[in-house]
Amino acid sequence: MSLLLNFMIFLPAIGGLLCLAAPGGRQARSLAFWVTVVTLAMSLMLVAAFDYSAAGPQFETAVPWISAINVEYRTGVDGLSLSLVVLTTGLALLGLLASWNIEKSPKVYFSLYLFLLTGMLGVFLALDLFLFYVFFEISLVPMYFLIGIWGGPRREYAAIKFFLFTLAGSICLLIVMLGLYLVTPQAVGKNTWVMVASSTSSDRGSEAVPATLVDERVRRMFAGPRFDLERWNEAAGDESGRELIDALRLDDRSESTEAVKAVLAEQLRLRGEAGLGQWLAEFTQAVLIEGRKPLALPVEVGEANLDDRYWSVLLVDQARGGRYWVFAQWAFWLSLIAFLIKLPSVPFHTWLPDAHVEAPTPISMILAGVLLKMGGYAMMRITWPYFPDAAIVFWHLVAGLGVLAILYGAFCAMAQTDWKKLVAYSSVSHMGYVTLGIAVMTASGWNGAYFQMIGHGVSSAMMFFLVGVIYERSHHRDLDRLGGLWTRFPAFGGWSMVGFFAAMGLPGLCGFIGEILVLLGTFDAASPGAIGAGSVGLVYVYGALAACGVILTAGYILWMFQRVYMGRPREEYHDYAPISRREYLIMGVLGVAAIVLGIVPMLVFVMTRATFAGMLASMGVG
Amino acid sequence: MDETILTLLVLAMLMPLAGTVLLLCAGRMIGDRAGWVATSLLGFSFLCCVTIWGMWPDRGHRVLALYNWLPITADGAGFLEVGLFLDSLGVAMMAMVSGIAALVHLYSIGYMRGDPRYTRFFAYLSLFTFSMMGIVISPSLIQLLVFWELVGLTSYLLIGFWYEKRAPQLACRKAFIMNRVGDAGFLIGLGILFAQLGGHLLLPATEGMLMADGNHIKSMIGALAATEAAGQVASSHAGLNDWLGLGSTGWLSLAGLGLFCGAVGKSAQFPLHTWLPDAMEGPTPVSSIVHSATMVAAGVFLTARIYPILTPEARLVIASIGLITLVMAALMALVMTDIKRVLAYSTLSQLGYMVVALGVGAWGYALFHLITHAFFKCCLFQCAGSVIHAAHHEQDMRRYGGLGRKMPWTAAAFGICVLAISGAAIPLTTLGLSGFYSKDGIIAGAFNFGFGISGQWAPGWLFWFLPLLVAYLTPLYMARAFALTFMGRPRVESVHQHAHEAPPSMLIPQLALAVMAIISGWMLWKPMIEASQPVMQVMGIQSFAWLHEPGNPGMKAAHAWLLQGAGWIIPLAFGLWWYRDGLGRASRVAESWAVRPIHRALLNKLYFDVVYDRLISGMVVAQSRILDWIDRRIVDGLVNRTAHLGSDLATATGRFDRDVIDRSLDGAAESVLQAGGVLRTTQAGRVRIYVLGIFVAILLVLIVVLASFLPIWRASAPSAAATGRPVIWTFESDFVSGHRHASGSLGDSIPFSAKEESINP
Repeated sequence: MSLLLNFMIFLPAIGGLLCLAAPGGRQARSLAFWVTVVTLAMSLMLVAAFDYSAAGPQFETAVPWISAINVEYRTGVDGLSLSLVVLTTGLALLGLLASWNIEKSPKVYFSLYLFLLTGMLGVFLALDLFLFYVFFEISLVPMYFLIGIWGGPRREYAAIKFFLFTLAGSICLLIVMLGLYLVTPQAVGKNTWVMVASSTSSDRGSEAVPATLVDERVRRMFAGPRFDLERWNEAAGDESGRELIDALRLDDRSESTEAVKAVLAEQLRLRGEAGLGQWLAEFTQAVLIEGRKPLALPVEVGEANLDDRYWSVLLVDQARGGRYWVFAQWAFWLSLIAFLIKLPSVPFHTWLPDAHVEAPTPISMILAGVLLKMGGYAMMRITWPYFPDAAIVFWHLVAGLGVLAILYGAFCAMAQTDWKKLVAYSSVSHMGYVTLGIAVMTASGWNGAYFQMIGHGVSSAMMFFLVGVIYERSHHRDLDRLGGLWTRFPAFGGWSMVGFFAAMGLPGLCGFIGEILVLLGTFDAASPGAIGAGSVGLVYVYGALAACGVILTAGYILWMFQRVYMGRPREEYHDYAPISRREYLIMGVLGVAAIVLGIVPMLVFVMTRATFAGMLASMGVG
Repeated sequence: MDETILTLLVLAMLMPLAGTVLLLCAGRMIGDRAGWVATSLLGFSFLCCVTIWGMWPDRGHRVLALYNWLPITADGAGFLEVGLFLDSLGVAMMAMVSGIAALVHLYSIGYMRGDPRYTRFFAYLSLFTFSMMGIVISPSLIQLLVFWELVGLTSYLLIGFWYEKRAPQLACRKAFIMNRVGDAGFLIGLGILFAQLGGHLLLPATEGMLMADGNHIKSMIGALAATEAAGQVASSHAGLNDWLGLGSTGWLSLAGLGLFCGAVGKSAQFPLHTWLPDAMEGPTPVSSIVHSATMVAAGVFLTARIYPILTPEARLVIASIGLITLVMAALMALVMTDIKRVLAYSTLSQLGYMVVALGVGAWGYALFHLITHAFFKCCLFQCAGSVIHAAHHEQDMRRYGGLGRKMPWTAAAFGICVLAISGAAIPLTTLGLSGFYSKDGIIAGAFNFGFGISGQWAPGWLFWFLPLLVAYLTPLYMARAFALTFMGRPRVESVHQHAHEAPPSMLIPQLALAVMAIISGWMLWKPMIEASQPVMQVMGIQSFAWLHEPGNPGMKAAHAWLLQGAGWIIPLAFGLWWYRDGLGRASRVAESWAVRPIHRALLNKLYFDVVYDRLISGMVVAQSRILDWIDRRIVDGLVNRTAHLGSDLATATGRFDRDVIDRSLDGAAESVLQAGGVLRTTQAGRVRIYVLGIFVAILLVLIVVLASFLPIWRASAPSAAATGRPVIWTFESDFVSGHRHASGSLGDSIPFSAKEESINP
């Protein structure tokens, strides 16, 4: 199976090369068609062979690649990537069908299209940071040319803007990667690029929890702003905290151990066994950030859970000035920016409307359906698991960004008169739910954010296709010059309703599941023990604002629907070609997918369940 | 027994759904038979529902099926559930919905004949019926929300059925968005409950259901009772309560009112009521079922379902909202001249009665009124539809008059329903039409509540006075509609000339509903109120014994007015006399200086539309334009400016390159320039500089950021190097050991591992 997985990644690339060598456009097209069909079949085989109870990656391959810097070729699939892989291969086939009538150098087009597919699959399946980065960049290049050559009138501007924006994000990611590469020796004994999710990374034991960069409990030391020693001492009424820290600060290990023992023994004498437990618990709590879930703390000193090194290491980092914590904060933000650009989130979103407006229809489908998901996927795969503590500290900023994107994107969508631009801004709004859901770090939030990616992959691809169908006939996308299309194309109108109402979050369609779960998850962040428990008001304000987003969404979608589909049909519609079978096929598949996902969301959740359980637990939530 | 009921229920639900799918997929083949196909499917569905009612064993409640739907916990074990749930309330609602839906389908065969989208109409109508049934059988709030939105969708589609015209377009959009405003509140309430109750969104009524694993399902009420009993409300919900500053049940009030917001939207209560009159742009059969009998009552149904979580404060707000709607709508119904709008405002007013009933605690009567109102209001709309049909789509009652002679059956049915909605009864007895039984109970409840609180709260008397006042207004505005339409001389000859009695397919449902309007109160009163007892018990609603016996001393005040005849006969007779030959007399009064401003304000719907359309919706659009401008000019402008900065930098670098380095390295530069020339031909030349600039800028950033990290690495690296051994007692080494010993057995590299000697006493 792991062979199949790797073959699936590279088959499109091989097909892409062959496309260039094909005798003509038609041959290249049918070659590309069969390649995508086979890729889709292989992804379905992965689904069939997948073990749904396992949390870690499956079908892993690990081969040394650039030994000098420990780069490995490491791939595998887990619950986080599986459904995105199927989404990618499925949309690739539909996008290919949508590009059936490409006339401008079809050989190059289909070849680039297949290269793009390799890049996208690689991003979702790579388990080595370096490899991930390579695929992340690889997917950029074909996209650049596909927009820049086959796009609309301002294609060059849009393509460069897209390229540079994402490249800027990639540089941020590169910095984080270099930092992680440098810091890993301290964690796992050698420089490595292996992703935290990998089940066979380095010298891991047989535990079921995913290997995090550092041991799960130890990792918690990065948990927060600098420990206020003075305040704690004041509260405790003595200098014990300082003594303990001083003892920890001693360079010589055995000396330090002895000193710490002495401090603890003193405290034991003063406070008794229970008192010492209490004292340790308080000490540990004090260095935790507000709102953090209470941990199982060493209260029973007799049993002496002192080997729970969680707090000891935490103290060490604090005593040394919390250096890793500084790095974690920087790295969190840099990698977040890299992925927020891709997602895209306000204020890094302005490449998206331009790229979408200029891109040809199938490329818009892929761009909205798959490429945006790389951002959300990478946040879930890299940013949060690597730096959960920074994520907890800054959750309100990130969630605020998500709420802002929801409302801002919806407002901007409402103001558009270009149909495609409206759909593009709706993507900004919908991706805000992804940011919000991830940021609140609740189970429902994560499930919702993830489902929102899949659901939006279906609904946005469908919306862009619907726009494309009309654009092909009208050669304009001006909302004020359309109207009455429902009468001219009744069945098309019906499918359009499925697509746009799925985006609107109508229950029974795929958009609802993500939205409602993210909303519930946001409110859930205020429940005791969750990250928002310390700032309930903020959680509720975020939740309420996100809930109000559904009004705006209904506003712009219905207004658009009225302007395009309702009213009397225009004269020129008589000249419009009827919708072809191929077009109905694409609409039908996407529409049925939207309905099925909306009714049976477990289709996705059954894949993610085990993996999410492991991930959330390792981040200390859930 | 349960299996049979389950099968019947599933059949009853699947019939309309099958109708929708069939008509949408094979509509062209079915063609004109679509109406009969859909109607017979609905008829079958109705039979199933009636059978369920007949079999309904112990008037209890049972969850017939429950499925996991949305995962809400990290371990993947906790779910939001959906399923099939029935209690006596649900059984009655199912029978009512399917029965009325079948009649409306039948009616539509005649009414919609010849419409170009005939098939699609029945598909939508069947989908609506399915969604409405889905609301009724929901065991959980999440499923309720799903079908709640689906009825909203079908309502949207049906209002905008004639979407070529401008008015239906605007009306359907308005209806949807107004509902969404309410739904935002619904979502907030749902979120609060979700967070505070740990994800249990099952309805209170489902408690104690027949599930194998009784522990798994906890109702909200159970969870609440447990926390309240343990005195934990303050602690476990402290965060929200503190923030709200509303006392220990503040969060619950907020959650209840949030959910009620959804009901306000769906049931068109003040201040979200404006969509319902506009919704009359839809075909009249739609108005008769969606916008009077069933969907708009869903809000009342929801409020009834969540009743136990409504705190006294929340109930006071609910009663007040109902009161405002009740009075406002009745007054507007008194001045409107469009027959459907009069009925729409009458619907609003009656919905106000139901909401007031819930607010004041007359739970069973709210639902009873929901059912009786469904019959007579559906019939009224169908009669209005027949009139409109006969009058060539003329809806202005000023142009009617004397239609009673042309369409006697319709006039009779309309007249019966006027009596029913007025709460007519035989004086000095307890025999009356359906509206009498239900409205009487509501007014009695309002009396009880109003007198109860008027001692503590000055405006409390309004809670009994206004429902009573509107009980007088109702016969008046209904008599007005009847008189203007059916009595007197024809006012416009062209309308009157071709008017004709409705065809049988329209007349039969009208008459059937009229019969129900007569007997349903008398027939259903006992079963409904009895049936509501166990439900109320499960939900922990106090039942007021006096509410259930007309003639009981507790009801004296209400009955003194209503039972003994004065309540309905006087205003009705006055209305019929006053409007017997048109609006002449009334308009003279309306033009008098004292009444004129009020009349104008009412005719303009109290300017709600002006405020909403011009002010709020205008502000939203303006806001969107402003943000769009900001997005293009400022956010994107910043991006472009950065890019230009990069390109300027690159130009400068390029100049340096050309003027300084280039001259010293002639040969190499030559080839670079050539390469540049090639690039220039492909892209307009700017690109290269652009990319170069960005790259230089990025490199600079990279260097700066990495440099800022340098101290970290430097600080840790030499310590290892200096000591010449693996650093053990630094946090770095702990990573190593921590990782190796993650499974639990910690080596002696841990400072406190020698715990036994030093710490154990």
